Amino acid sequence: MLRSGSFTPGSEPILRVAHISKAFGGVRALVDASLDLYPGEIHALLGENGAGKSTLLKALAGVHQIDSGEITLNGEEFIQGSTRMSIEQGVAVIYQEPNLFPDLTLAENVFIGRQPTKGKFVDWEKMQSESKKLFDGLGIPLNPLAKARGLSIADQQIVEIAKALSTNAQVIVMDEPTAALSAKEVERLFEVARRLKAQNQAVVFVSHRLDEVFELCQRMTVMRDGSTVDTKMVADSSEAEVIQMMVGREVSELFPKIDVETGDSVLTVNNLGASGNFEGISFEVKAGEILGIAGLVGSGRSEIMRAIFGVDGYDHGTIQLLGKFVPKKNPAKSMAMGMALVPEDRRQQGLFMPTSIARNASITVLKRLSKGLVLSRKKEEQTAITWGEVLQLKFARIADSVDKLSGGNQQKVVLAKWLATNPTLLIVDEPTRGIDVGTKSEVHRLLSQKAKDGMAILMVSSELPEILGMSDRVIVMRQGRMVAHFERSDATPSAVIAAATGSGSQA
Amino acid sequence: MNLPGQLMRARELPVFAALVIVMGLTSVAVPHFFSAKVAVDLFLGVSVIALLAIAQTFVIVMRHIDLSVGSTVGFAAFLIGDSYSKGFGLEVSMLLAIGLGVTVGAVNGFLVAYLKLPSLVVTLASLYIVRGIFNEFASGETIIESEVPPVVNWLGLNRLFGVPYLFIIGLVVLLIAGLVMKRVKAARDLYAIGSNPAAAELAGIPVARRVLFAFMSTGALTGLAGALLLGRFNSANPNSGLGLELLVVAACVVGGVTIAGGAGSVFGAFFGALLLQGITLSIGALGIPQFWQQAVNGSLIIGAIALDRYLSTRVKTTTIMGSK
Amino acid sequence: MSRFHLTWDKGVGLFLVFTILLGTFSSEYFATTSNLTFIIRDVAEIAIIALAMAYLIIAGEIDLSVASMLSLSSATIGFLYRAEIPFEMALIGGLVAGLLAGLFNGFLVTVLGLPSLAVTIATLALYRGMCWILLGNKPVNQLPQEWVNLGYSQIPGTFLPWTVIPVVILSAAAWFILHGTRFGRWVFAIGVNAQAAEFSGIPVKRVKLALFGFTGLMSGVAGVIYTLRFASASPDGAVGYELGVIAAVLFGGVSIAGGIGTLWGVIAAVLSLGVIRSALQLIDFSANALLVVSGSLLLISVIAPQVTDYVRSQRIKASTTKRIKTKEGVQQ
Repeated sequence: MLRSGSFTPGSEPILRVAHISKAFGGVRALVDASLDLYPGEIHALLGENGAGKSTLLKALAGVHQIDSGEITLNGEEFIQGSTRMSIEQGVAVIYQEPNLFPDLTLAENVFIGRQPTKGKFVDWEKMQSESKKLFDGLGIPLNPLAKARGLSIADQQIVEIAKALSTNAQVIVMDEPTAALSAKEVERLFEVARRLKAQNQAVVFVSHRLDEVFELCQRMTVMRDGSTVDTKMVADSSEAEVIQMMVGREVSELFPKIDVETGDSVLTVNNLGASGNFEGISFEVKAGEILGIAGLVGSGRSEIMRAIFGVDGYDHGTIQLLGKFVPKKNPAKSMAMGMALVPEDRRQQGLFMPTSIARNASITVLKRLSKGLVLSRKKEEQTAITWGEVLQLKFARIADSVDKLSGGNQQKVVLAKWLATNPTLLIVDEPTRGIDVGTKSEVHRLLSQKAKDGMAILMVSSELPEILGMSDRVIVMRQGRMVAHFERSDATPSAVIAAATGSGSQA
Repeated sequence: MNLPGQLMRARELPVFAALVIVMGLTSVAVPHFFSAKVAVDLFLGVSVIALLAIAQTFVIVMRHIDLSVGSTVGFAAFLIGDSYSKGFGLEVSMLLAIGLGVTVGAVNGFLVAYLKLPSLVVTLASLYIVRGIFNEFASGETIIESEVPPVVNWLGLNRLFGVPYLFIIGLVVLLIAGLVMKRVKAARDLYAIGSNPAAAELAGIPVARRVLFAFMSTGALTGLAGALLLGRFNSANPNSGLGLELLVVAACVVGGVTIAGGAGSVFGAFFGALLLQGITLSIGALGIPQFWQQAVNGSLIIGAIALDRYLSTRVKTTTIMGSK
Repeated sequence: MSRFHLTWDKGVGLFLVFTILLGTFSSEYFATTSNLTFIIRDVAEIAIIALAMAYLIIAGEIDLSVASMLSLSSATIGFLYRAEIPFEMALIGGLVAGLLAGLFNGFLVTVLGLPSLAVTIATLALYRGMCWILLGNKPVNQLPQEWVNLGYSQIPGTFLPWTVIPVVILSAAAWFILHGTRFGRWVFAIGVNAQAAEFSGIPVKRVKLALFGFTGLMSGVAGVIYTLRFASASPDGAVGYELGVIAAVLFGGVSIAGGIGTLWGVIAAVLSLGVIRSALQLIDFSANALLVVSGSLLLISVIAPQVTDYVRSQRIKASTTKRIKTKEGVQQ
């Protein structure tokens, strides 16, 4: 039974995106993307990481200007490249991490720049009552006088939606809105979306979560590698078909997984917990093994990895590496003991952007490259060149800055820097996010090879095919807890997704 | 509107309370402390800093800073006396001073808003440059009493119902500024810019224009403060205003106008200035050597910053696991 | 390092040469040994503090209280000496005072997490206030002659003042550590991206604490030199010196945003400012001109990178619109 309700497109779409393309430097983020949006529908925009969804959204939001193609709103040309113009034309984007003003009240946040006035002065009472009306109209009784600081993400989204409505937005785009929400909050958001639909709004719902799409949306557009694959009625499709459209090829082809004999236990995590982030985490990783950690964005996986490596602390539990206890919150010690962490956000956490490849790749092993106090610049460069060769890094000169490299090569630099430390345990968090397909399989081949050489690998990934293709075992996390554990043979897409989203249903 | 509740939670409350406590404790320790004379001293001593602190607020709530105010206010004071003594008349002299302030503010503002230079560096540089130009202009001379416009002189010396006129001027500016900051749309944008600069751009606020205008407003008030400075001391020389910027920023921070931007009010800045001045008087009255004054000020500012930081980290956001 | 800044510190070097030439041409007294002595002696304190300030700004922090720390160390020397402590011990006391003051700054920033800009404005007042508390308004003027000589006079047989020795040694050591050791790499890494530095195992807080302490210590050294040079320990010395230090560091090519800079550029900038001051004095320009020049140089040092970045981005934009899309694939 279709839960999302029925929908028949009217005669004219309110928003038409036709064959747009956009490139950044030499990288094509959008190749041939199209989208038609009608009033009164909740339209899903699906696609893997790197499919181009976010670039499409940013074009609508006015952050980017497209290179070719057309965007029309209400039959007229959509003026691009200005966030202010996008808002004025009636397109409102609600980001995954809402961008409110923490020191201002909710009412002010809703009406910033457009406050109701009495004569020349801001009419605070009216601003308050109007906000209250908007919140009530969405069914959520927020206090307009509360400051935005400390508000939950779910509530922040409501404020953003209210803001969108107050600007008379015709198109409301929600970018992965459920990533950081609890089940209850998701349901609440869905109610709001349905209200918007009933008010004949056009809503775009960008998401990874197929079960949510099938529950909420009437039509969907699937993107892959920068282009639109197809647009279908949700009622006419299934989760399996969507996955097929998103991935586009046989899952197993992509991953050169080598079967390996696993050795002794390398990492033992026992009852690790950090209040509010994760609880009851216990698992083991053996030498030669790749343990995959699956789960939705926001389920706590990266937090656990950071706690294990020592960048963050934790409240209780123990971590042992090769039998020795690893002290809390001490990355240098963890490194010395043989751990390495390739972080989730390579730009903010993994790389020093305007610095050379040589320096980036060697920053973790400087002690080894120094004789006493004196650091050898030659050795710095040599280490980078050596590892660059191993990883088939493509660059012009080793002294070039890493920000000139493509995403894939940047990730290789991060890998180089950690592999150079010769770790016993390699933790990789989203190892191939935002990387082109060719480099992706090189990275996978490398990881498999390292496992074969005896390294224990702990891998967090939001890309289902990657998790399924690479892991010997899979642990699924949901909202900070471990909810499932699969051996390679039992891990199927639907089983993993079901565990990750907590839904028992399959299409 | 829950007025008592709101008052209790206002940022300005700690400063105000501190002021009352300091004055109170001192008057217990020292009989007749809070006499009329002390009150007058308090009001008189605070007027210039208070006005400058109000002006600085415009800039600090945007997460910027203006270190050039000390040089500008001194120059403005001198300029009034100098123009007047050259026969330009009161109005023109005042206009020149305010114009000077606006010009300095405009240059600062342009560099910060449009060239996106850090305000710390820009206003540090203009602190230097303005002082240098001022020194050149003054050529070592001093403005003496006879050169001070009589109105300014009179305002500096007299009182209305016992309250010095200089203070009343400050109070009037405070009320106007308070009204503007609370009720004018463009002023509310300043808070948004300081609270979340990225979001301000996305929300369509004309950030550069606002920043420029805020610096110019600060400059204008600084020019006006020059008149108060001149009236207070009945003289001006190339050292006028030296080092005032520190006290002004201190008054703001202590008054709840946080360096992180986005919060605080001109009222808080005003109370901060009063508190600093009040402590100065208390120290004198309690017999503590004047030498402790600066150290106390410094410790106070550290305390205010630490308190502000502590309060802001106390607010917890919901996490992955928790939800109501 | 971005290509521009590599050229910038060479530019400062050229600027130094230029100012020397200008000075030579503008006054016959400029290129004399006695004037050179004067210049070196004049910039010693600022140079020494600038070494530490460079590290701090490269690491993404700042310390506005350095002049007060210098004065505090001087006041401590005076205070101890007045209390009949042997002068040598008093000097050590001055160094310790500077170090402790710097560490306190570091504590406030790294342990309490307070913003360095605001907090060092506060400690500027606090330390200056402590100077007044230590000495009252009575400076200590009777200092041992042999020490005072070290502060003021030249190495026998040369035109170099004794103070050139600590300046050269400290500059060399600072240059070596920043550009040739692991610690130096850490300082740059922290300034470029403190979060990535943490993720790479660099002990960010400890490094920053050490840098603040180093700044305090160097301010203490400068305080010793200052006291000896002026043969007096007074509570109101070196007022405003922090501006000269920061102006020199920024003009020397250290970016206020952190992560970029060379020590050579800073030294060249300090010398340039000293040369300019001397030249202006010799041609009877007032000290005001120096104020204006320093301020302008400060502005130029922050405007110039913006301008070149803008020019470069315009050039890139022009070339990419012409370029045909390549085969690189998809990136978000």
